[in-house]
Amino acid sequence: MPDANGRGDVVLDVEDLRAYFFTRWGVVKAVDGVSFQLRRGETLGIVGESGSGKSVTSLSMMRLVPSPPGQIVGGRVMLDGEDVLRYSEGQMEKIRGAKIAMVLQDPMTALNPVFNIDSQVGEALRIHKRLSGSALKSQVVDMLRKVRIPAPEARVRDYPHQFSGGMRQRVVGAIGISCDPVVLIADEPTTSLDATVQAQYLRLLKDLQDETGVAIIFITHDFGIVAKMCDRVAVMYAGRIVEQGDVRQIFNNPSHPYTEALINSVPRMEERNDRLYSIPGQPPPLWDLPGGCSFAPRCEYAHERCVEYPPVYELAGGQTSACWLRSG
Amino acid sequence: MSTSNGAVLSVEGLKKHFPVSRSLLGRTRQYLKAVDGVSFEIEPGMTYGLVGESGCGKTTTAKLILLLEEPTGGRILFGGEPVSGLKSDGLREYKASVQAVFQDPWASLNPRMRVRNIIGEPLEINTSLTKGEVRSRVAGLLEEVGLAPYQADLFPHEFSGGQRQRIGVARALALNPKLVILDEPVSALDVSIRAQIMNLLKDLQAEHNLSYLLIAHHLATVRHMCDRVGVMYLGRIVEEADTEELYENPLHPYTRALMSAALPSHPDIQRDEIILTGEVPSPLDTPPGCHFHPRCPARFDPCDSVEPVKTEPSSGHRVVCHLYGGA
Repeated sequence: MPDANGRGDVVLDVEDLRAYFFTRWGVVKAVDGVSFQLRRGETLGIVGESGSGKSVTSLSMMRLVPSPPGQIVGGRVMLDGEDVLRYSEGQMEKIRGAKIAMVLQDPMTALNPVFNIDSQVGEALRIHKRLSGSALKSQVVDMLRKVRIPAPEARVRDYPHQFSGGMRQRVVGAIGISCDPVVLIADEPTTSLDATVQAQYLRLLKDLQDETGVAIIFITHDFGIVAKMCDRVAVMYAGRIVEQGDVRQIFNNPSHPYTEALINSVPRMEERNDRLYSIPGQPPPLWDLPGGCSFAPRCEYAHERCVEYPPVYELAGGQTSACWLRSG
Repeated sequence: MSTSNGAVLSVEGLKKHFPVSRSLLGRTRQYLKAVDGVSFEIEPGMTYGLVGESGCGKTTTAKLILLLEEPTGGRILFGGEPVSGLKSDGLREYKASVQAVFQDPWASLNPRMRVRNIIGEPLEINTSLTKGEVRSRVAGLLEEVGLAPYQADLFPHEFSGGQRQRIGVARALALNPKLVILDEPVSALDVSIRAQIMNLLKDLQAEHNLSYLLIAHHLATVRHMCDRVGVMYLGRIVEEADTEELYENPLHPYTRALMSAALPSHPDIQRDEIILTGEVPSPLDTPPGCHFHPRCPARFDPCDSVEPVKTEPSSGHRVVCHLYGGA
């Protein structure tokens, strides 16, 4: 098991991923040249506001971008050495939910209210592991036990409405990990949970990761989740990754003005600050992006060069930044 | 409880029990005790925070103060006067003086009304201003919340979430209220927009000497905004103190757990996690004794049978827990 320093092998290598939506208002470049790597046992946080492209990035990796109007127009998603963007739909169905799985945000809608937990947790196992009968049943119970649902033998027959919000999110988690995925994408998995239940769930995900070595991608808008859960961070703005690095680099030494501003604008639990830094304006609409750096209109360091989109600069320690300030 | 030391608003033993099931004969068998004996005071120019998890009764408390629900018991005092005794004019004045900003700026503005009418409606109903005066007051309010007067002619869908919340704030300020109830005012907004709205609310408070009742679940936001905080659990305030005192010296095991569960602002901050077992029980079926005892890591003998009473271990710091004495 890789510890904090010893890194595992690269299990997911996303390169120059582009997913566009062709709408009547124009081409929405929801994901526009996104690249990152993920190692075994590692947790990557993809942070951004609504419309930053973080969720479309995760849908692209799952090949679930609604089409039309959406289309993956370029790039590679190498999962265990194979480009899943070149897979046929049939090949994709074999790995979706198995090798690469997803935990969705809202446990109320992620589960089907008319099927019991047994059949919903068992579905992926039945399809991918070809389990049936008592083997399937015991595997489902095992999964529920793994996500610490009390009395799993009795509860497999229950329906979603018989579970509390936190327990439902655990069931969704059980479905996510049921086929031993290599990569688990967690899209804002705790936003609808209360603080004390969120803490339980995050602890559970960490334990599961320690047990199985699964690599996790956290899609979130919350730097608190990043600080608590992630090893590495990619910050997205208007469809692109503006900064990437180890979690401590990002917090101690943000290299992109957007990251810096975002971290400074969040109130802290640990101390009282009388005035928050506030970023002027709002994120630009993706169908009408400013030319050049998309953050420039809100950036206090903006200067003439920002009319051109900056290249991605590599900084010390593997940190990257898409900002002209880092040009040397 | 003292009532008259200049508090803008105080509530005393406020209760709201919703009947949920009836027997065949129409007699109520079960009550949902959403708010079950809540007391606090809001001083002029100050912000009082109510924190707690979903279902703890914080929003019902706000609805009671806004007179959107009728209390089952207890009193609301406005400037020392019981609100329940107010008649037409007094009631109108109370309703104008107590305004609200809601959580979801997509749901809380009528999509078919222009901003001019959204902000102007309370003025038309409650004041005798002429059309021209309403027009200039709306323009002034828009500028005060950081929007431009020409935007009065637009519809809500033409604004972003942050701008819509500004419209909601302008509407709340239209009648020069004394108290504004802020029910999760930033939690539906994007991270980069939240700071703008929080700063705006603080600026307006300083300028107009407003009192706020902030309802929130995010502890960092509460620390940033509030002067005094009450922590609610299952319809009751279990701990109350001035903000700094509460965050530096939380007493109730629930407050401690809540704080330990709050997400850190830096990866190097490691809190001793007090992971509570289970979830908040249904308010339909509250546990006997202390409501928190089934989840409490510090429970001992009396907790599952005797209800704890409020004690004040240090001045202004009140807690309802057997650990701190009382009966």
